[in-house]
Amino acid sequence: MTEPDRTTLPLAAPEFGGTANHTLRGSEPDWNLIRHPAPPQGAPNVLLVLIDDAGFGNPSTFGGPIDTPNYTRLAEGGLRYNRFHVTALCSPTRAALLTGRNNHAVGFGSVGEFSSGFPGYTAMVPLECAPLPRILRDNGYSTAAFGKWHMTPDGQQGPAGPLGRWPNGWGFDYFYGFLGGDSGQWDPCLAENQKIIGTPAAYYDKQSPYYLPDAMADKTVEWLHGVRGQEADKPFFVYFSTGCSHAPHHVASEWADKYKGRFDHGWDRLREEVFERQQQLGVVPADAELTPRDDAFPAWDDVPPRLQAYYARQMEVYAGFSENADHNVGRVIDAIEELGELDNTLVIWIWGDNGASMEGTITGSFNEMTMQNGIPLTDEMQLQLAERYGGAESWGGPIMDPHYSAAWAWAGNTPFKWGKQVGSHLGGTRDPMVIHWPERIVDPGGLRSQFTHVTDVGATILDIAGIPAPSRVDGVEQEPLHGVSFADSLIDAAAPERHTQQYFETMGNRAMYKDGWWLAMKTPRIPWVVTPEALKPYAPDVWDPDAGPAELYYLPDDFTQAHDLAADHPEKVQQLKDLFWQEAERYKVLPLLATLSSFFGIMPPLEAAGKNEYRGDVQDVAPGMIPRIYNRSYAISADLLVPDEGAEGVIVAEADHLGGFSLFVDAGRLTHTYSMMGVFVYRQQADTPLPTGEVNVRIEFAADAAKPATGGQVTLFVNGAQVGGGRMDHTVPMRFSAYAGMDIGRDNGGVVDLSYADRAPFAFTGTVKKVVFDVKSHRKAKDEQAVHAVAHQAHAAHGLSS
Amino acid sequence: MNPTAGLKVLSLPFDHESTDVLIGSYLSHDAAHDDYQAALACGAYLHGAIVVAKDMTGRVTVEQSDHMVSEVARGLGTIGFLSGLAVFPLIPLTTGFGALMGGVLGEAMHLLTETKVKDQAATMIPLGCAALILAYPRSSATDVQPVVRRAVTQVTGQANGHHLQALRGALADAQQHLATTGP
Repeated sequence: MTEPDRTTLPLAAPEFGGTANHTLRGSEPDWNLIRHPAPPQGAPNVLLVLIDDAGFGNPSTFGGPIDTPNYTRLAEGGLRYNRFHVTALCSPTRAALLTGRNNHAVGFGSVGEFSSGFPGYTAMVPLECAPLPRILRDNGYSTAAFGKWHMTPDGQQGPAGPLGRWPNGWGFDYFYGFLGGDSGQWDPCLAENQKIIGTPAAYYDKQSPYYLPDAMADKTVEWLHGVRGQEADKPFFVYFSTGCSHAPHHVASEWADKYKGRFDHGWDRLREEVFERQQQLGVVPADAELTPRDDAFPAWDDVPPRLQAYYARQMEVYAGFSENADHNVGRVIDAIEELGELDNTLVIWIWGDNGASMEGTITGSFNEMTMQNGIPLTDEMQLQLAERYGGAESWGGPIMDPHYSAAWAWAGNTPFKWGKQVGSHLGGTRDPMVIHWPERIVDPGGLRSQFTHVTDVGATILDIAGIPAPSRVDGVEQEPLHGVSFADSLIDAAAPERHTQQYFETMGNRAMYKDGWWLAMKTPRIPWVVTPEALKPYAPDVWDPDAGPAELYYLPDDFTQAHDLAADHPEKVQQLKDLFWQEAERYKVLPLLATLSSFFGIMPPLEAAGKNEYRGDVQDVAPGMIPRIYNRSYAISADLLVPDEGAEGVIVAEADHLGGFSLFVDAGRLTHTYSMMGVFVYRQQADTPLPTGEVNVRIEFAADAAKPATGGQVTLFVNGAQVGGGRMDHTVPMRFSAYAGMDIGRDNGGVVDLSYADRAPFAFTGTVKKVVFDVKSHRKAKDEQAVHAVAHQAHAAHGLSS
Repeated sequence: MNPTAGLKVLSLPFDHESTDVLIGSYLSHDAAHDDYQAALACGAYLHGAIVVAKDMTGRVTVEQSDHMVSEVARGLGTIGFLSGLAVFPLIPLTTGFGALMGGVLGEAMHLLTETKVKDQAATMIPLGCAALILAYPRSSATDVQPVVRRAVTQVTGQANGHHLQALRGALADAQQHLATTGP
């Protein structure tokens, strides 16, 4: 069989080479017609592993405090890369990884939740940039993705789609995971291929509860076995993208308890220890300097002793969570080994899609969404809220959605400054990478220090597989890959550095790298502060990015960015600034701060406020797709059929006790519970029993004012008659949950009102015929605009932390 | 409840000096309990201490000091002490946008039984929150106040006079502070 032209996809079907006569007499079949496309000879399997929200100084493989035996096992049989770079944010790195192109150029200047009207920020990969899984699939690979996706815009995560930006649309034959930016590990709202399948039934199994990292490994192994059962030789491409170590930090206590006491000495000392080990391992040069603590982070010694145990537990859980991820990746690797295919499997394992996340703010949080909703809580408040939900021993369990302190993230990014969201510095952009491929790597355990970038991964995989980047896909001319292959570095430690120039931009934090020089342009805003005051200096008519601070580093001599040379080389500073603007223009980075544009009133047209109707069997509506009831008056009404013996259960519920609402019937009374991020929980109950027969129930919320988090009055109605109510002094301004969905007739996953937790999902025992949301417009147009702005900020604020 | 219980305190020490009432609000029962225990252990004389909490399912618990019980057994009595206290709405927290929550102090003091305290707490204390109420002579303030470390919000009312009148006055003063304390 002749080698097909792989520059055009799909591959052209071969010409019929047989004979087709009037009948079978003398006809000759051409069996090539029914063969599937074959990859080039020798194309290896590929396992691409991506850990979430983790830093250069996290895994023990790179000197960190988190035990990662499987990562180390692969590094010792393969290679460590210590100058590998990502973008400083989740979706952008993923988009760059799976397209081989710069993130802005493929519409991912920001996260999937924040799809906007600038070319670099649509969150919709252009047809001109066919993704890597599509290229591999069309060239004869079996492809599958497991775990976190985060590249489907919020508004497209339902059965109406469009589905082209779900994982299958990107070229994966199979997907099992979650579409959003993060997920509970105990109670995820999952998707399988093109369907939201919700929270697994095993969530309710008290003896053997569901745990997503375990299930991801199980599903991966099951899929591999299925592929091998059908095709012994067809190469596979598996993208294994853990929800770990993103918040919520969910892991069984036995994993966290392995670290008891190991962080009692705090983040300052931890950094020193890690740095020492990094130098011993050689992943950080001996002449490098540990960068100092920024004033944004408190000294550990200044943390009151009574709070130190609380902080230490945060890191214990994060460490246990991360080690569990290593364990489950190890299970997948074991399965490949058991198949006898590890030698010919190219494993690329990246420990972090950005630096470790500082989005927990300094205090850390019992609920990751408190920061995203702009709720300032002191350390004492956070401690008390953690106590409310079970205390330190429950941190990591299903009752909380925790995120650790920003200072632990900073320690996780040792030896660098800053972390996630800060694209200007290595703390946000440099992560460990290990590559394992016994069949080809000749110096196992070696170290590679070529400057490499996440866009290079796709180019390298294609290079190794012998597949060209296509010039035409589905008739659309393709944008060339922006990354370059580093395949030769796998077999040659002295291979030349091919990636010599790279821009970085995340939320206005910028960097320009060229030939060893790195210009860092960080906005002075503290990354986890998104208050109006903090954003004011960046308003459209105020901010002049060129007037901001700029630091210059020469990385060959300064691995950690410890010595700012800007004052000594003003011409280099200017040269790199100019180059940044050129690259920004070329790769659709402009306008800067497009990610935050909604904060400055630049928003898509108003959606018509109105009614949403759900029939009684609708479940698992993605959290970004629920009716936008935030910051305004609304009514929820339901038509019920209540049997003669009465009914109980949930009529409609969104998310859980850490943020959400539930309208339900308990002990014969209509009840409404509203959780303001688990900080304040309001409950109103009817004074009279629910009647039987055809019943209409309604809850009305009358907002005090068109303002964020507005308080207001709740009134309950049954068949039009007022039966109860109460006041809610605070409401959720932006978003109830990052991952938990809305259900009609039940409360799937974690429940909103813990009083019925033991009866979860507390399905309604009558019939819910229909639930109608009626979201009210504010009377004045300017109020409506204000609320619309806030509502849209929900996307932005959520996106900042995803 | 013995309606004459209050009369029995006429001879108690706090007849003759100023009375303070401290009210702390908490986001967890544990935190309120910590301060409660610290107050009991601080060595200062207390007229009484009480923690009222509501868990996430809505169950209300009331905890009162043994110290108070023993002291007031000679005078005010458990019921008598409770009769002087009302449970106040907790001071609200801010959201990131500075929105205010509640702050309405609508309830006047009533003579309450413990059951009534629970009933009122069920209405006034948010799910998951707790309140600590301490009553002590002014001379104990320097010892008591520093050990109350975990309150999210904390007010102290003061009044002079005769046992229940002083207590009522201190409570009223605390109420006033509560109304003006806020984000």
